[in-house]
Amino acid sequence: MSDHDSNGSNISKRNNSYSGCSKYSGQSSQGSYLPLQAEIVDIDVESPNTYLISLALPSGVDFSYKPGQFVMVSVFGLGECPISITSTPTRGSLQLCIRLAGRITNGITDSRIGDVLGIRGPCGNGFPLDRMKKDILIAGGGSGFATLRSLINYIVDRRDSFGKVAVAYGARTRQDLYFMQEYKGWQQAGIDVSVTVDIGDEGWKGNVGMVPALIDKFNLPAGSAAICGPSVMINAVASKLMARDFDHSDIYVSMERHMKCGVGKCEHCCIGPYHACQDGPVFTYDMVKEVL
Amino acid sequence: MKAFLPNESLIPWLKDLSSSLEVIAPVDVEGEAVYQTWKGQPPALVGNTLSSPIEVLMPRTEVLFRYVQDSGRYTFDEPKVPTRIVVGMKPCDLKAVAILDRIFGSEPTDHPYLAKRRSTLLVSLNCTDPGPWCFCAIMDSGPDAQEGFDLALTDIGSGYLAEAGSAAGVLLIKGCSSGLFLEADGSHEASRDILLENARSVMAEKYGDRSVGHLRRAIRSADWEYLGRQCLRCGGCSFICPVCHCFSIADLGVPDGERVRCRDTCLLSGFSRMTNGANPLGSIGERMRNWYLDKFEHLPERTGLIGCVGCGRCDEICLAQIDRWRLEVLDERSRQQRQQHK
Ligand SMILES: Cc1cc2nc3c(=O)[nH]c(=O)nc-3n(C[C@H](O)[C@H](O)[C@H](O)COP(=O)(O)OP(=O)(O)OC[C@H]3O[C@@H](n4cnc5c(N)ncnc54)[C@H](O)[C@@H]3O)c2cc1C
Ligand code: SF4
Ligand code: SF4
Ligand code: FES
Repeated sequence: MSDHDSNGSNISKRNNSYSGCSKYSGQSSQGSYLPLQAEIVDIDVESPNTYLISLALPSGVDFSYKPGQFVMVSVFGLGECPISITSTPTRGSLQLCIRLAGRITNGITDSRIGDVLGIRGPCGNGFPLDRMKKDILIAGGGSGFATLRSLINYIVDRRDSFGKVAVAYGARTRQDLYFMQEYKGWQQAGIDVSVTVDIGDEGWKGNVGMVPALIDKFNLPAGSAAICGPSVMINAVASKLMARDFDHSDIYVSMERHMKCGVGKCEHCCIGPYHACQDGPVFTYDMVKEVL
Repeated sequence: MKAFLPNESLIPWLKDLSSSLEVIAPVDVEGEAVYQTWKGQPPALVGNTLSSPIEVLMPRTEVLFRYVQDSGRYTFDEPKVPTRIVVGMKPCDLKAVAILDRIFGSEPTDHPYLAKRRSTLLVSLNCTDPGPWCFCAIMDSGPDAQEGFDLALTDIGSGYLAEAGSAAGVLLIKGCSSGLFLEADGSHEASRDILLENARSVMAEKYGDRSVGHLRRAIRSADWEYLGRQCLRCGGCSFICPVCHCFSIADLGVPDGERVRCRDTCLLSGFSRMTNGANPLGSIGERMRNWYLDKFEHLPERTGLIGCVGCGRCDEICLAQIDRWRLEVLDERSRQQRQQHK
């Protein structure tokens, strides 16, 4: 709800007539707002405030998704919020990477193995793999890296369909870096991986600085790019890429917006004429550069 | 099909309808016409209502589903949708239904809206006496309903000329107790035409200078900073608008409870604020601009229809007395003039 609670009135006066017969617990269809129930089968800790949650959907449910899509996750009683799918459809499980940010994200991470979360989706468009060029630069900053991991592991699993691929990723400190145990595998798949932190320490031997600085290190032909992170970072990376002859319509940006419905109705996520939940979250840079 | 419903048959007809349907009609509540379940009171079928019957399809608050927990798993129950008939809906509100149909009916469709829409019959009442703020004629959404109604009524003095717009509408005439509807003749239609023409010219005289083209230019050049300072951020203009459809979703109750949605508005500061505090619509001026852009640029782009039906409610309700079309604050004198002049 927005700040002023001017719309929460009438609740007690509501007419509670429920159909006894339409009990539901099966397949969710888009637009019905009824979630699926997904069981938490594994919980891992990615950083001091970030958890990797693996989910099992009810058997028989068709849940096909693309890298870059997200789901509306609910903890019943607390509400629903958008979370990127961090796993790749090329592997079995459905994984979410949750950073503690408030009520719902805390509720998700307070859950235990065996508990259920509500899942609606997949929502949004995802990365347009059929339209993207084969050489891909992936740049992520902070928790925005969760959605890019889906794309990276997808590329690893379908390596022959892609050309030169490079990953530039930055976090605040060494402790905030996600998916560290996977970088080696990415490199073994021939992906150029470069990581940086804003604040270094004695234990850190790698780069210190901002993500855009990493771009200079890559020797990459003008292909497509997938970026997710803070606006400043997106703009800086995009301008470096355009200087390297990347077309602005080949630069794909995953946008964050406040979301409530996830199906293009509630208007919370609007970016000009677009709904980030439906027309996005992935946009070409030229579509969104004015609001970045 | 056309028929004539004499004044004395109106209440018997509503009684007839209410034996099989929930009838929603405007009734007098402390001097204000409010759409409610009709329980035999004299219906307040006059003028425009401040609150829109669109609330039948898009309630201020509604339950999406109820969740019930049992050993860590949930069952969900969706509310039953009653079969209803709205009597007296004005053409402007009917046009708003057409816009909402396109919004909620586009893929992925919004089931809670469509379920209510499919089980609601609409009887419209053409406007022979436009209110002081009405300019539907300029927006092409009144004073007579063009489409989307099951039955359209026009008050021609001695009774109502009824015109069916759907098979259900024909049944509303034919299926009721005999003797209520009489045959319509040419004189009924002639009276309707004169009354509607008069309503049209009243609005043209008063609001003829309004045009969407002008407004679009005004949006580009308006001083949003200034208008933002005038606005009291009450959200009234949105909550009262039959086309505004922003909503929020929240859970009420642990471990069992209800997921509810309630109307929201893009004019409030928290509407687009993100977890990290960043707010793409950070100032009230930007939010007001977004309100206009959505109605007059983005919605037409998405649905082919302009997001305003000329009901005048936002002008009437605005505490800051902002003239919604000139995008300036009205002085007290012109406001009073507008209210008096009918
Ligand atoms: C497309 C998309 C993908 C995302 N992916 C991830 C992810 O993979 N991992 C992750 O940890 N976080 C992700 N987020 C951010 C996450 O949705 C917010 O952190 C979350 O909504 C915060 O909810 P809360 O109740 O914990 O916090 P609160 O601040 O208490 O949020 C209150 C309410 O505001 C809304 N809200 C606030 N901020 C946001 C926001 N930034 N985006 C959407 N709604 C918001 C929520 O609906 C929530 O109900 C994503 C956001 C978007 C838009
Ligand atoms: S914008 Fe104002 S005049 Fe137009 S439909 Fe909404 S409330 Fe009515
Ligand atoms: S009704 Fe007037 S004061 Fe209230 S939010 Fe709208 S413009 Fe602002
Ligand atoms: S989240 Fe509701 S319109 Fe996008």
